[in-house]
Amino acid sequence: MDDVKYKINRLQTTNDIRPLVDKHWAELRTAKERGEKVAWASGPTFIIPYSMGIKCHFMAGYAAYCGGIGAADEVLKVAEMTGDLPETCSYHRLHMGMAEAVRKEIPVNPQAILPIPDMMISGRFCPEMSHYAEGLYRRLNVPVAAIELPNAYEREDIPRLKRYVLRQFKEVLIPTLEKAFDKKFSYDRMSEIIKSLKEAALIRNQCWEYFKTKPSRWTLWDYGVSIAPVFYLMGKPGSVEYYQKLLKELQERDEKGIPAMAPEGEKYRIYWDGWIPWAFLGKFMRKLTPNGALCICGRYPWEFFPHPEKLDPENPLESFVGTFFDEESEKIFSNKAPKGSMEYISTLIDEYSIDGLVMFSSKTCRMWNLSHLDIIDALDKRHGVPGVVIEADMIDSQMISDSQIDTRLQALFEAIDGRRA
Amino acid sequence: MEKVLSKITDVTSDPYAYVADLREKKQKKIIGCFPMHVPEELVHASGMIPVVIWRGNELVTWGHSHVPPYDCSITRTFVDDAVRGKLPFIDGMVFDVRQCLQVGEFPLIMERNVKPAYQKVLYLPPVIEGDPTKQHLLDDLESFKESLEEFSGNKISDTDLRKSIEIYNKNRELLERVYEIRREKPGILRAKEVMQIVWSSMLMPKEDNNELLEELVKEMEGASVAPQNGKIKVIPVGCLCQTLQFDILDLIEDLGMIIPDDDLYIGSRYFANQINQNGDPLRAIAERHLAKSPLDPTKAVWDVDWGEEAIQKMKDNDAKGIISIIVKFCPPHTCYYPDFKSKMEEEGVPHVMFQMEHEIISMEGIKTRLQSFLEMIGGV
Ligand code: SF4
Ligand code: SF4
Repeated sequence: MDDVKYKINRLQTTNDIRPLVDKHWAELRTAKERGEKVAWASGPTFIIPYSMGIKCHFMAGYAAYCGGIGAADEVLKVAEMTGDLPETCSYHRLHMGMAEAVRKEIPVNPQAILPIPDMMISGRFCPEMSHYAEGLYRRLNVPVAAIELPNAYEREDIPRLKRYVLRQFKEVLIPTLEKAFDKKFSYDRMSEIIKSLKEAALIRNQCWEYFKTKPSRWTLWDYGVSIAPVFYLMGKPGSVEYYQKLLKELQERDEKGIPAMAPEGEKYRIYWDGWIPWAFLGKFMRKLTPNGALCICGRYPWEFFPHPEKLDPENPLESFVGTFFDEESEKIFSNKAPKGSMEYISTLIDEYSIDGLVMFSSKTCRMWNLSHLDIIDALDKRHGVPGVVIEADMIDSQMISDSQIDTRLQALFEAIDGRRA
Repeated sequence: MEKVLSKITDVTSDPYAYVADLREKKQKKIIGCFPMHVPEELVHASGMIPVVIWRGNELVTWGHSHVPPYDCSITRTFVDDAVRGKLPFIDGMVFDVRQCLQVGEFPLIMERNVKPAYQKVLYLPPVIEGDPTKQHLLDDLESFKESLEEFSGNKISDTDLRKSIEIYNKNRELLERVYEIRREKPGILRAKEVMQIVWSSMLMPKEDNNELLEELVKEMEGASVAPQNGKIKVIPVGCLCQTLQFDILDLIEDLGMIIPDDDLYIGSRYFANQINQNGDPLRAIAERHLAKSPLDPTKAVWDVDWGEEAIQKMKDNDAKGIISIIVKFCPPHTCYYPDFKSKMEEEGVPHVMFQMEHEIISMEGIKTRLQSFLEMIGGV
């Protein structure tokens, strides 16, 4: 560590996210009291119930939320008590823990409790995702609408996978939901959501420019907590306004020369791979900041509509599905399968002037971990940028080892210094 | 029976040498199919030899530079074998990346470090109702077929494919017959012998394996077995994708239990469900993939209950309990397990679970658990 006292200059706008997110979850929690039916969804399928006026819980968002309200450990405990094995995906355990807390009336933080759904939408992005739905079906008899959402490993596979996914949205998901909820799917409503999402994501892309400046004007964690308005808060009041305000604050910072990291900006510009560690944002910040290391970008937070210009409100469903299967875009082709990821990270290293890679490897979720060590090796050879793997978990505190994280980060900083010398 | 069993042991005791030799002798290309879903019939019909990839036989060393310790055993050992150059006889590799996340580890690692002459990624879907999934599955199989044709230089006609299906169905029928005789004459084979028999089918050309199995069946039919007095029947369940250490199977039997049937992947799951030999062969292969039973936890089946299936098998065999074997770090199985366990508890079925790891941490620990299980089901 050098003598400079690094410190994060906090953004004001990110304080506004909490009320937006809390409102979403509160509406969901109280939906049943208002006599509304509720769906839960994995993958980006929630846009369909949203377009039908159905309240829907987005499963991965719940993990961030639970981490945020500090309820993750107690919910995971319930999962363990009710039979889940510790190496099971911690998002799965969170949901099973919550469902079991309801089913068996086990007391946990009431804010963490959501209404048991009337239907479970299993968007099987990751092959493990269907297990949530299976568990709920078996334990609580919740009906399931399942669709398969494969990601392409080879570019030439994209067109047929896209065709398959689009057909499932049209021929399976929409009719099943219409029948179960006795409501009509509305292309007009979807169109409005897409319009608002597009607007928010276009502004978000302008905000991304302030990661490219040296020094950076904001941190990846700032963006991490700002993802909801371009994802599960899409189309909701306040999402566009949030990004407008954020952009303004970043522009002001840029004009005044205020860096994200005081006193004069970051020493190391870090690429962060894998999940954002929702329950441990502060912990990682405390490990990175004193060293002058700032997380700048990552493949996961960049997966939320990186090409908003391609979202077409006139053609909402096709263009929405199309954003996940875009043959022309490195960012899309590559967001999960290792070969494409390698190419994608390579573009991020150049675009954002990255000094080092931290590959956050969740011990219970392999979605982003695949071939991590080979990716580091290949990118080091190509860019001369070193990388390390941190073995941890995005939610489960029992899987976080301080000493391992410290050693790996130190090794990374030394490697960067060595290359600079 | 000894002679035929020793031929089988020759195959499974050193699969590396066996497959390398096979390639030499037959002068055919070897296609490694990662378990559990790759339709081998298509590879067979292209004139190449499909071989199911196996869990390695050594401790993981170089593999540590490519995959984390929290990947399942076969993932780690296969990568280790591949990067150490232990698999030079494999000309091509096929991976169904929709089976579980771990299969996604392979395509890049193999491409960078092993460079197989042929590599194909399949996106075989889970069991989802409706035409889009059926159509996608057919498209995926068609794309697999075309890529095999290109690599082998052989066109695969419907007649070729039907012929291969027939040979494979014959193999399934023979394995089923081996199991049937074991059910009739418990103790006729050791559990490890049964696992080796099924494993040999995964490694050998099916025609050759069929010959061996025919011989075996004949001998089993004629053999008599001493009554297994005092032994308690149990059904092992799970152990997806890979062999269980034979020592553990021996331990189960040496403690006084007997296995009349199983629900293991390298066991009854591998040969379950024939493929329809009439009609369009590709559609018939697709139908087998979409079968809901035996329940496969990687296929997102909601309305068939694995626990109920296992209990039925236990009852059919007059067995007294169920042994779950979960491969450590196998998410499809671990996610399902709490519900499986609840079903056992609800139905009052004696049940024990242990996790299978490539590096056995404590044989003593497994022994203690099995002993108390045995006491629970009435053994001594
Ligand atoms: S394994 Fe990972 S990607 Fe899959 S459901 Fe769990 S957290 Fe999500
Ligand atoms: S054992 Fe489980 S995790 Fe491993 S490859 Fe097979 S299904 Fe996947």
